[in-house]
Amino acid sequence: MTNFTNEAIEINELPKFEEVQLRGLHSNYLKVMLFNFSLLIILVLGGFATVFVLKKDIFSINVWGSIFVALILLLGLIVFFTKKSFKKIGYAFRSHDAIYKSGLISETTTIIPFNRVQHVALHQGFISRKLGLASVELFTAGGSSSDLKIPGLLLEEAQKIKNLVSQKINPTAERIESEPTAPLNTDSNE
Amino acid sequence: MSKFADFSQPQRQSLPGIVVMFANTLQKSVRAFWPILLIWIVKIETLNKFFVFGGITVAILIIALISYLQYYFFTFHIDDESNEFVIQKGVLNKTRITIQLHKIQQVSINQSLIQRLVGVHKLEIDTAGSDKKEASISAISHDLATILKERLINHSQLDKSEIAETILEENTPTSFIKIGLLSLIKIGFTSNYVKSFALLFLFFTTIMENLQQFSQNEVINEDKVTSYLDKLPMLTSIAIVLGSIVGLVLVVNLVRTVIKYFDFTIQKSKQAIILTYGLISTKNTLLNPNKVQKIKITQNYFQKKFDVTTIEVHQASSDVEKVKEKDKIEVPGCTANERDAILNLLYKKLPTREKLYLPNWRKLALNSFFLLVLPLLISLILVFNIKIITWKEWILYACVFSLFSGLLLWFSFKNYKLFVSNDFIIKQNGAWDIENNIVEPYKIQAITTQQFFWQKGTNIGSITLSTAGGTISFSTGNYTEIKNLVNLWLFQVETSEENWM
Repeated sequence: MTNFTNEAIEINELPKFEEVQLRGLHSNYLKVMLFNFSLLIILVLGGFATVFVLKKDIFSINVWGSIFVALILLLGLIVFFTKKSFKKIGYAFRSHDAIYKSGLISETTTIIPFNRVQHVALHQGFISRKLGLASVELFTAGGSSSDLKIPGLLLEEAQKIKNLVSQKINPTAERIESEPTAPLNTDSNE
Repeated sequence: MSKFADFSQPQRQSLPGIVVMFANTLQKSVRAFWPILLIWIVKIETLNKFFVFGGITVAILIIALISYLQYYFFTFHIDDESNEFVIQKGVLNKTRITIQLHKIQQVSINQSLIQRLVGVHKLEIDTAGSDKKEASISAISHDLATILKERLINHSQLDKSEIAETILEENTPTSFIKIGLLSLIKIGFTSNYVKSFALLFLFFTTIMENLQQFSQNEVINEDKVTSYLDKLPMLTSIAIVLGSIVGLVLVVNLVRTVIKYFDFTIQKSKQAIILTYGLISTKNTLLNPNKVQKIKITQNYFQKKFDVTTIEVHQASSDVEKVKEKDKIEVPGCTANERDAILNLLYKKLPTREKLYLPNWRKLALNSFFLLVLPLLISLILVFNIKIITWKEWILYACVFSLFSGLLLWFSFKNYKLFVSNDFIIKQNGAWDIENNIVEPYKIQAITTQQFFWQKGTNIGSITLSTAGGTISFSTGNYTEIKNLVNLWLFQVETSEENWM
């Protein structure tokens, strides 16, 4: 307690997480993000189209026109903001922790020290698999709020990261973890 | 082991356990069929007596048979070869629960009212990790339960510290803190008003509903009550109604607290801390200081004057998705000295409040806007458009609301503080009940910082620390300071050799 002033100086000499150069996600992941949103838009469009074909009389032509314009605008906005938020996503692996930053309106940075990671999982969604991407999820004992998921990594890279983290958690299990036949957890909602 | 008891062969529960099982099954059946039972009771005059009582007798016989079969097929034993605790149960659907001994976290012995009547105890086993299997033996004699508990716990600790001798000394726990009736009464009078009020409200509304449904002529004549109150001067009748509500809430609070925490004793043994409490059903919990993740200390103004505090100990949860009640242990009504003693016991030193961090004044401004200005504006618009109340009334209500809300906002802002020292993080918050959440830096699992884009110019941000026993967050603070703290805590977590659990 008595050497607290020493501590205060030390704080500034500690490695700074905010100055770490973050890596962006693989550019193909933007396609995954856009695809997920466009699915939604297609559903909405399809809904309106069905109504248009079956019961044209509900709205006047003007209303139909404005709905169409609004949907196009919405699509444009979604593409614009998805691109913006994609650029905001960044991750980094330091020797002792993993950093993940995201968010357009609210910028959130999550940091998990490796010595608190319980287990690592590798997910691959349908579209991600087609594009050769995968995501790595780090689980801690702090509940779902403190789990960290890094999407949009090249499969090879993701496997490397997974092995790296597994080694850090459990150095003795090294040999088993690095075997190429390790099963992949697949996830369909991506 | 000190006493010899053979757990290697599958054995049944103690014989009076049939009574416990019978009572449990009976309770479940009554709960499931209560609407039918209620109709029978109401219409008992019109039904064939022979048929009704015959039916009840047959039902009770069936339940008795089921409980005997449940008793007969329930066995437990310790498999020494695979080091597993095995429970087999089920009449038609057979279930076999196996628990690896080294995974056992907690073994608790409890006693409910029925169990107390027939003189048996319930033994519950809590395991670690995401493994959701949990086991309990609902009827076991106290001696056997203690021996079994010792066997289970010793086994699970043998792996960690291979010295069995130290554990043997553990058999005589020393009494550490005993919370007297007076402290409980003090706590009962000064806390949980909202909870008790909600309980009372629920209780009365259900009672009134049921009464109105089942009897055509109301038992309590509402008109009589209102006319009686009308005769009195307005202030007196308001005072009577308010007074009776406050009185009832206090009584309910008091009774609840005393029944739940009667004879609260904390005992200390070598490895763990044992808590025993309860009037009707005795609870017996083990608390492992290593498992403690977060401690919450709550005290309000009255409690400060009476020198009583409530301590909540959050342990690492075995079920990550939802923090169970079991992992949250409450110590009601201890004095400042007892509080320090408990903290000393759990942390081996007292948490100190060193460097102070305060929120930005914008926190007060933002909260005031959403909780004071916005409601006032909405009510103003409402009154302006649809005249529900007169302007005079609105001004009166608005003044009362502003005063109340303003005071709450001011105090919750004033009490919002973060203290950081080398070994502890203490976050204080609350307007009336002032909470202090204490976390040790090396128990942090993950750190999240967050900043809205409009907060960039003013350099404001928030931080959330996740532990295995809940989170702590501090919002609208100086972002540079927060980032420095993050770097410090990361350093502490990453260099810490201590086991967080």
